[in-house]
Amino acid sequence: MRVRVKQIPYVDLAAQYVSLKVEVLEAVARVLEGGQFILGEEVARFERCFAELCGVRFAVAVNSGTDALILALRALGIGQGDEVITVPNSFVASTSCIVMAGARPVFVDVGEDSNMDPKQLERAITSKTKAILPVHLTGRPADLHPILDVAKAYGLHVVEDCAQAVLAEYRGRRVGSFGTIGCFSLHPLKTLSACGDGGVLTTNEEALYERLKLLRNLGLRTRDDCVVWSSNSRLDTLQAAVLLVKMKYLEAWTRRRRTNAAFYQRGLAGIPSLQVPRDRPFEKAVYHTFVVQAERRDELKNYLAENGIGTAIHYPVPVHLQKAAEGLGYGPGSFPVAEQQAKRILSLPIYPELSRDDLSYIVEVIRKFYRASSHESGKPCV
Amino acid sequence: MRVNFSYLDRQFAEVDAYLRDIKELVRTGDFTLGAPLREFERRFAEVCGLPHAIGVASGTDALILSLKILGVGPGDEVLTTPNTFIATVGAILMTGARPVFVDNEEGFVIDPGKIEAAITPRTKAIVPVHYTGNVADMPAIMEIARRHNLLVVEDACQAIGASIAGQPVGSWGETACFSLHPLKNMNVWGDGGLIVTRSAELAEKLRLYRNHGLINRDEAVMFGHNSRLDTLQAVIGNRLIGQVEWITLRRIANARRYDAAFEDLAEFISIPKRRPGVRHVFHLYMIRVKRRDELLAYLRKSGIEAKVHYPIPVHLQKAAAPLGYKEGDFPVCEEDSRTLITLPAHQHLHEDELNYTIEQVRSFYLKN
Repeated sequence: MRVRVKQIPYVDLAAQYVSLKVEVLEAVARVLEGGQFILGEEVARFERCFAELCGVRFAVAVNSGTDALILALRALGIGQGDEVITVPNSFVASTSCIVMAGARPVFVDVGEDSNMDPKQLERAITSKTKAILPVHLTGRPADLHPILDVAKAYGLHVVEDCAQAVLAEYRGRRVGSFGTIGCFSLHPLKTLSACGDGGVLTTNEEALYERLKLLRNLGLRTRDDCVVWSSNSRLDTLQAAVLLVKMKYLEAWTRRRRTNAAFYQRGLAGIPSLQVPRDRPFEKAVYHTFVVQAERRDELKNYLAENGIGTAIHYPVPVHLQKAAEGLGYGPGSFPVAEQQAKRILSLPIYPELSRDDLSYIVEVIRKFYRASSHESGKPCV
Repeated sequence: MRVNFSYLDRQFAEVDAYLRDIKELVRTGDFTLGAPLREFERRFAEVCGLPHAIGVASGTDALILSLKILGVGPGDEVLTTPNTFIATVGAILMTGARPVFVDNEEGFVIDPGKIEAAITPRTKAIVPVHYTGNVADMPAIMEIARRHNLLVVEDACQAIGASIAGQPVGSWGETACFSLHPLKNMNVWGDGGLIVTRSAELAEKLRLYRNHGLINRDEAVMFGHNSRLDTLQAVIGNRLIGQVEWITLRRIANARRYDAAFEDLAEFISIPKRRPGVRHVFHLYMIRVKRRDELLAYLRKSGIEAKVHYPIPVHLQKAAAPLGYKEGDFPVCEEDSRTLITLPAHQHLHEDELNYTIEQVRSFYLKN
């Protein structure tokens, strides 16, 4: 008799909507009553709530997280001939935003924490450097204080890529409130997600806030008055309405993610072949992804798949080794830590709707994989 | 009586079917480049009579992505008209290129007779705007483009369904750019746009370029934008795309009624010559009138939401100051900005609203 394998997908977008369907649809219907699909009242309300959530004065909602980054750089006057420093192990948009703004991306390697290694920053700074773009990858804050110190010493802006990190805290403060500008994504896979693409910027500077509002709306001060050239990057009112519903649950969902992470941290402790992420005392990660570093990663991934468990790799090819990056002059070996980690990282399911049973099952399958393999190889399990 | 410029409240009259579709999408969670988007792209291409349509985040992005993928960038010049929505010009500037203006002719589209004088060794492309839903003189423009080896990107944001002698907009240029903004003939419920093209190769590149240059989840072959038409908006689009022909015919019929009703007021109202063979789809019903501001105020007071598209030509916008143009550079466009007025002509306009609008315009000139 064939045993039915338990199925746990890596993500389950439909699961969230089982509970929210009614509220989301009501929100959509309310927008229709107002009929203001472009920069309607819900957008302004979402921006106020989001700013408050991040502990900043202002937020500006835009069409995507990528656009948030592009507009942030443009608002700071960064373009042709400028350099911006970021990391090579992020989603490609952390780099392409710099290229799209007309500037040149310069990479620094990451540390053990998979985030920007502040010690390497100074070496990457040239006379053309205008900004540092640290990424709070996986929802874990980059080590911001030393990064901000370097930025201050060299007169550089810091643009935080918070695409995966809403509600993450660094030394008691939420990300997006440290740099000149913070950029968030509201993509359907994010912890706070729209039913489509969306993004939002945070800042404490009123002049930047005013400028960003112009930049996301074709530079229009009024219907007829264009004061600066720009693109069109507005968050749809419909999406803002959906986001306002979801925001009420964000803190609870984030607690669930952290609880799930804690379960993995306990359950997967003591496997020598597996490195599990842990909060450091000065941070509160939100675990947009739960990324372990595993020996024989591809085998483990296959083994989990055979046992019905979906996983993902964020990301198997570092940005500097992408075909798109050919012109930037990097190659294999340029960033050894990022490259090494790319071969070892594996993202486990972490979404709030996972049950305790699901988590136990995943832990058990992983332990079984390494138990079996340590017997095979004859190595003792230290 | 109130006569609204926007038709949206009437679109909402049949809202239940739309909400059912949205509910189904929400159930599946297929929000990014989902199946309904692919269906919408296919149907939109079909309506345009072209093989490929690529959904993007807005009409503005359609222009930016088109120009950039064709290699337009810093150091290049791009020709267009100053009597357009500022997005046409903003898009050119977002590529890093410099917009160079050419005045328009009486149909509110680029004057082909003035294009060659504006060409320099740096000129890379022409962006003719099918403004108001009229069609620029594409055969003449293409001839100039061929002679000077220039790219052509059609700004068809206002012109879905328009054609010359049956040849649809979008079939001349390398690409054509459409907007789905909620006031357009064919709309969605937020921002949205599409690029259509004859070229399979361009279509392929644009699909990459709107999605981070990703050929699969993990591999980026070029750096790109994130500019995807939301699947949620494509769901709305799929409901409305079947109505395009009806919408177009309604708008043309309304425009004809206006044209006929104002024919004898030539002393006050100048109706642009309707070029034979051109299918003008009247996204905007725009005429030139005497005492424009007074008429506008009069109509507004009568509850008619007339508008001006636009009172400030693009070359005289504050943002355009660095481009070095001044008042007097484009006399037709500048004169238009003082005399043009746009009357409601949308597809949901009722007979009595149309009659009332005609009556009010006539009485303004005949009784004042």
